[in-house]
Amino acid sequence: MIRCILFNSGINILYLFIIQKSMNKCYDIRNYEVLGVIAMNHITSTGIKGIDSVLYGGFPKGSSIIVEGSPGTGKTTLGVQFLYYGAVELNEPGIYITFEEFPQQIYQEMLAFGWDLRKLERQNLLRVISIKPDVLYKQMKTLDGLFEQIIKEINCRRIVVDSISLFQYLYTNPIEIRETLYNLRNIFRKHSLTALLLSEQSRFNGEQSFEHYIFDGVIHLALKEYMYNYRKRTLEITKMRGCKFIEGEHIYRITDRGIHLVPALTMVEDVVISSQDQLSTGIKTLDKLLSGGIPRGTSFMLDTNSKANFKYLVGAIIASRLLEGDRMIVISSNVNTVLEQQRILALYGVNLEEVGKRKGIFFLEHYQRHIPSAFKDLTFDVKDLDNNQYQNFLNDTLAPMVYEGLKNGESWFIYYDLNTIFSQRGAEFVKQIFTRETAWARASGITLFTLCNFAEVGSEISSFLERTTNTVIRTWVDSIYQYLQVTKSTNGRISEPYIVETISDKPYIQLV
Amino acid sequence: MERNRLMLQIECTYFFEENPFALETKESLATRLGRSANELEPILSNLVALSVLTKFGEGEDTVYRYNQPIMINEKLEV
Repeated sequence: MIRCILFNSGINILYLFIIQKSMNKCYDIRNYEVLGVIAMNHITSTGIKGIDSVLYGGFPKGSSIIVEGSPGTGKTTLGVQFLYYGAVELNEPGIYITFEEFPQQIYQEMLAFGWDLRKLERQNLLRVISIKPDVLYKQMKTLDGLFEQIIKEINCRRIVVDSISLFQYLYTNPIEIRETLYNLRNIFRKHSLTALLLSEQSRFNGEQSFEHYIFDGVIHLALKEYMYNYRKRTLEITKMRGCKFIEGEHIYRITDRGIHLVPALTMVEDVVISSQDQLSTGIKTLDKLLSGGIPRGTSFMLDTNSKANFKYLVGAIIASRLLEGDRMIVISSNVNTVLEQQRILALYGVNLEEVGKRKGIFFLEHYQRHIPSAFKDLTFDVKDLDNNQYQNFLNDTLAPMVYEGLKNGESWFIYYDLNTIFSQRGAEFVKQIFTRETAWARASGITLFTLCNFAEVGSEISSFLERTTNTVIRTWVDSIYQYLQVTKSTNGRISEPYIVETISDKPYIQLV
Repeated sequence: MERNRLMLQIECTYFFEENPFALETKESLATRLGRSANELEPILSNLVALSVLTKFGEGEDTVYRYNQPIMINEKLEV
């Protein structure tokens, strides 16, 4: 038998323990994998699909969350939608407490969304209560008072208070207001109610009000200017204790079915026609962001600025392909020599000489530099070829070699430092041949991995390259951290920026 | 005078009928209806006597709650 005990430590860290009675052992399960299994029981849907996605499932049950925003942002609609969905879909009865509005007005307004609140009241799934804040507060503190009676009457699980801003008029002393709100939170917690506290105050300009510290979550709704003549509604979660969430602003609309939120960083899915088996990048988190890895037979690009260290990222990707037995063509940069690549790949358990012996890798050399004897036969010297000759070499020498391998069922992978082609052959050449090359590679089922510095090549060419490529991963250094973000992917997802952390074990980097 | 009392009684009953889960004190109801709290006091007492309302507590903190008549059609709907 497994029981869960939830408590809050003095330093506000949520500790969740499983006590497995039969084994008489206690496990701290703060890591996400384990938490994920159990957390589902502690999460309740918000009633708005998009917000559920942003919160990876919904609100933590029993939490008290502030929903703040200026008039007209849809706080009431969000609150009622939360209660309506809970009552109708989850059999979680709820109470809507209004200090100023008449319940009658709320019943009428919500009919516009098809929500018949009176019907839910008759089914004992809802109560819309008008009450003055001081009366509510007194009743909440009274043993078996009206508040407790109503909660018992309908077995209430959800509550919305509209709005807590009115408590500030009860007291002039901020300490008393704080104590009142703290009391409210504790009473909701005692009754295991998931509570939304609507707040009219808009103090979001960097200033944190004390409510933000008291309550478990903060959701901010805003109406912002958009493209000069329009307004956009945005929702941002800035706090949610015990729950991971997607940071940033998410756009929502008030539709005839209530609030509809589109989580940010979601794009229309790109349909990949070629083979769908996923190639691991060798970095677990990156594979997850790409729904398993890079789809074989697609092109992906790493956009990196000059400060960013990408050698381990590239090393992990190339090594995982070579270890899987892919044959590879490498077009190296001026700083990335064969010896350097050999050294990096050795860290990932790849013996490049052994790979070379089985003709598993070939290099295209654009520079005058020393080639180790073990790789001389595997290196095509293209430095003296003009653009036409180079193109002929690709068509007449390289392509037939790859085709031959493909016919024999081999998998091919091309790692292509585009910065080299830009510097050695010019931007026009890249524009001419890149579309053709990516199309050829994709049609042949070859996976193409290109490296480029978008900032260096300019916005026009970078947008052209981005359009031509299936997946774009961006890494950059911003002050003292290096970040990585998937900005385009075949699954239509754009990731949040992750911090790239160097670690001492393979794959030597991790995304945090 | 009697007519005024009757009008106020209807006004109060109508408010609670339309807002059946309102929990109001004499003062808060007066604010919602735009009436004087003193005028409402005898009306509310009368509605309690008629079992239209139930009162909780005493004095200024007394809260009034509506006793909803159960309609046959609503019972059937539930």
